[in-house]
Amino acid sequence: MIDIKRFMSGSAFIQPIWVFVVAITIFFSIMSDYFLSVGNLTNILVQTSTIGLIALGMTYVMINGNIDLSVGATLGLAASLSVGLQDYGITVAVLAAIATGVALGALNGLLVWKTGVNAFIVTLGAMIGVRGLIFVYTEEQSFYASNFAFSDFGASTIGPIPVLAIIFLLCTLAMHLVLKKTGHGRNTFAVGGNPEAAMDAGIRIGRNMMINFMIVGFFAALAGVLLATQMGASTPNLGRDYELWTITAVVLGGTKLTGGYGSIMGTLGGVLAIGVLRNGMNMMQVPAFYVLVILGVILIAVLIIDQQINLKSFKGVQA
Amino acid sequence: MASAEHTKQGFMLSKKHKAGLLNFLSAQGILVFFLICMFAFSLTSEQFLSQSNIMTVVRQASIIGIIAVGVTVVIIGGNLDLSVGSMLSFSTVLVVDLHDKIGPVGAILVMFALTLMLGALNGLLVGFMRLNSLIVTLAMLSAIQGLVLIYSGGQNVDIANQSDTWFGVFGQGYLLGIAVPIIIFSLLAIIVQVVMSFTGYGRRIFAIGGNPVAAVYSGIRKNWCVFSTYMISAFCVACAALVLGARVMGSQNNVGQGYELLVLAGIILGGTSLLGGAGSIWKTVIGVLILGFIQNGLLLMGYPYYTQWLVTWVIIILAVWLDLANKRKRLLTRHS
Amino acid sequence: MFKKKVLSVMVATLVSGAVYAQDEVRIGITQNNVGVDSYQTTYEKAFEEAAAANDNVDVVVLDAGGDVARQIGQVRNLIQQQVDAIIIWPTNGQAVIPAIRQAYNAGIPVVVTNSKIADAGLEYIAAFSGPDNVQQGASSAEMMCEALDGEGQIVQIAGQPGYTTAMERSQGFEDRLAEACPGVEILETQPADWNREKAQRVMENFLTKYDVIDGVYAGDDNMGVGALNAAKSAGRAGDIVFIGATNFAVGYEAIERGEYYGSIYQSPVDDAEAALQTALDVLAGKDVPKMNFFETPKITADNLAEFDKPVF
Repeated sequence: MIDIKRFMSGSAFIQPIWVFVVAITIFFSIMSDYFLSVGNLTNILVQTSTIGLIALGMTYVMINGNIDLSVGATLGLAASLSVGLQDYGITVAVLAAIATGVALGALNGLLVWKTGVNAFIVTLGAMIGVRGLIFVYTEEQSFYASNFAFSDFGASTIGPIPVLAIIFLLCTLAMHLVLKKTGHGRNTFAVGGNPEAAMDAGIRIGRNMMINFMIVGFFAALAGVLLATQMGASTPNLGRDYELWTITAVVLGGTKLTGGYGSIMGTLGGVLAIGVLRNGMNMMQVPAFYVLVILGVILIAVLIIDQQINLKSFKGVQA
Repeated sequence: MASAEHTKQGFMLSKKHKAGLLNFLSAQGILVFFLICMFAFSLTSEQFLSQSNIMTVVRQASIIGIIAVGVTVVIIGGNLDLSVGSMLSFSTVLVVDLHDKIGPVGAILVMFALTLMLGALNGLLVGFMRLNSLIVTLAMLSAIQGLVLIYSGGQNVDIANQSDTWFGVFGQGYLLGIAVPIIIFSLLAIIVQVVMSFTGYGRRIFAIGGNPVAAVYSGIRKNWCVFSTYMISAFCVACAALVLGARVMGSQNNVGQGYELLVLAGIILGGTSLLGGAGSIWKTVIGVLILGFIQNGLLLMGYPYYTQWLVTWVIIILAVWLDLANKRKRLLTRHS
Repeated sequence: MFKKKVLSVMVATLVSGAVYAQDEVRIGITQNNVGVDSYQTTYEKAFEEAAAANDNVDVVVLDAGGDVARQIGQVRNLIQQQVDAIIIWPTNGQAVIPAIRQAYNAGIPVVVTNSKIADAGLEYIAAFSGPDNVQQGASSAEMMCEALDGEGQIVQIAGQPGYTTAMERSQGFEDRLAEACPGVEILETQPADWNREKAQRVMENFLTKYDVIDGVYAGDDNMGVGALNAAKSAGRAGDIVFIGATNFAVGYEAIERGEYYGSIYQSPVDDAEAALQTALDVLAGKDVPKMNFFETPKITADNLAEFDKPVF
């Protein structure tokens, strides 16, 4: 029953990245006494939830054939708003932060839709500009949540599982189902895979893209708020470089930068791969300098392996 | 990414587009915009148009500019290079550290050789192995930063006897009254612009960036062409490292952090499309200068440094939008 | 004797007392951003050497790479590994407090090193060990006042925005200057993120903007020397008094050459050793004061000979 070709080509349910995740998990379990424990595994889930949440939205945008570089800045702005506005109540602050994320996503989407400017450029601009907004709003200051209820939420658990991990897993499930089972999900693939055919089929391409930018804006903001609850505070530099790690995770998960191909389960695997690697190397006390090199080399190695697998399956189709 | 984007633009073309009032301005493009910026700033600050200020800004912009010249070639060839930030850190730390150990000539030679090797690695992975350039150079950005730190052990590097060496001339010297960094920047820009515009090599780069399939059918060796663009990019980074190292006469390990984005912002502002097959060096030069003068102008006017980021956001979108609208209009008029 | 005390502390705090059979104490440290400048790198080396010199100490050395979120994750990992004490060099004085609180709740004593955390978090830490940055700013203000005879206009080049050390030094400098030296006016303050090249650029812009600058206060010598470089290129270094903090080797040499007025002598080795010692004292159950400042004296051409040249 197992279709080996489909499995190898990554189109089956078990993607290559999951093989990798399992392999490194076994490796670190052997190498470190502390790695394989419920406490540490839930730690990894919490630590990856930030990049993970953004990556869920980023997957949609990238399946669309677009990219969003502004997510790190959006995360920072949402975190600052969710702490800075707490004088008006925590609920108001959190809602305002999320709404801002969605609005920034809408702005990016609208610009890509209406101007035809490449998403890379639109969101590169936003990445620089939104960071400016954070500094204008915070005047370079870190904010501190005087209400411990806010940071208690970030540390709270249901049973042994941290709430943040549960939120992340629920969102992953929801995004997986939307992508697989709804019209919006199918349209997202169609727009990225073959825009002209999608247009002929009556799909409103611009609208579909804009919604996906709003989704990634929402998740960036949500990740920012949840990160702020972990810290009980926000800093203006929060989220720097997160766009790079998010894109890395999504690509590791098998989503193609050219659009039309990708999956949420793959993205989850990509996010976990980075999280397990970082955590495991911490546990093994790999010096920080080497971690950078190792992450870079692994990323390139995965790209090469992925390409070889695709080449093989491509030849298979031809034969 | 390229093919999907092309069709997307094709679909945009079929819509009716009103170019509107801004026709004239957009037709003149980025140059007009540049002059307007300069004029606006000169009204608000006396020092802005002073010779010393202009020289300061151009000198400061030349490090980004030198790198941008190389990255523009990569982009015209249809790829991206995000690794230049770490590569700049790598090369600067290397040349400064080796200066006291093996002398300036040796340091410069070794630095150029090793930087070109990094460029070759990029070129190999993107050109020959056909991996996605965005991800490859992103991975290299991380890996090279790690290499710098491993090499230096995380310590700052310094040139001990700064008055006893001629090395500083690349960053601090003057030739015929013009700062050496500006001369290096101008020379590189002119040479690369000439190569891109008037040689067969330049045409091949445009061809593989614009239509890779057709280019290969016409007999262009795509692998080598892409490879060579990364070598040019690395060479430019090495030149920038020379200027940076000689300017500071020391280096921190993260000195190039974030340069990849500033470089991209300058190139985009200049109007080189990220899709490949189009663009020019002189536009990039203007884009980089605009960024430099905006930063300087806002600071002179007393705005906090982060306002420049907001302004950059707005002008990047506006500049590219106007440029696109203008191209579209020209296409439409040609068709009718 | 020592071991007994350690064990009793651990049993009292219910931390892995049973699992713990070795003779060593395990101390985890999460640093701010090693490699960003030599001070932090030298600190790390000194810390590892000090730990290696002590047979009873096993250390877990982590680096947050300047990222607050990563540092919080590392604190969690250290709690997970059930280390006996955590030393944290905060990436941010406020955002790390909940993580410190978690360690506190898990019964693991936390020592904050080098850069203070906000007052709200003080009840959760066992001790702070490091320089008094407000005092350093004030000392620099006094030197500036002296050098300018109480009259002049100066510019300030500050460290990374939002970072406690940068804010405290600025605050200490500005407050003391206003108090001791009302005749000296700060024309403008710009950050240069502890980066020499950025400081050079910032100073170049200051030099164009202001025809008269009598003094420069930089948040550390790395930036101060950048400013000095810029002024030298513009031929104006002779008219300007340069004062920094955290004396670097380049700053020391510049004072030697008479180009740089003064700085604050702060040794990363003292800093690292003090942090480790404080953590060991806490674990040994000694009565440790909450705030442990090590000496950071003024350094100028007059007393330069009393200090060794910094190794970084």
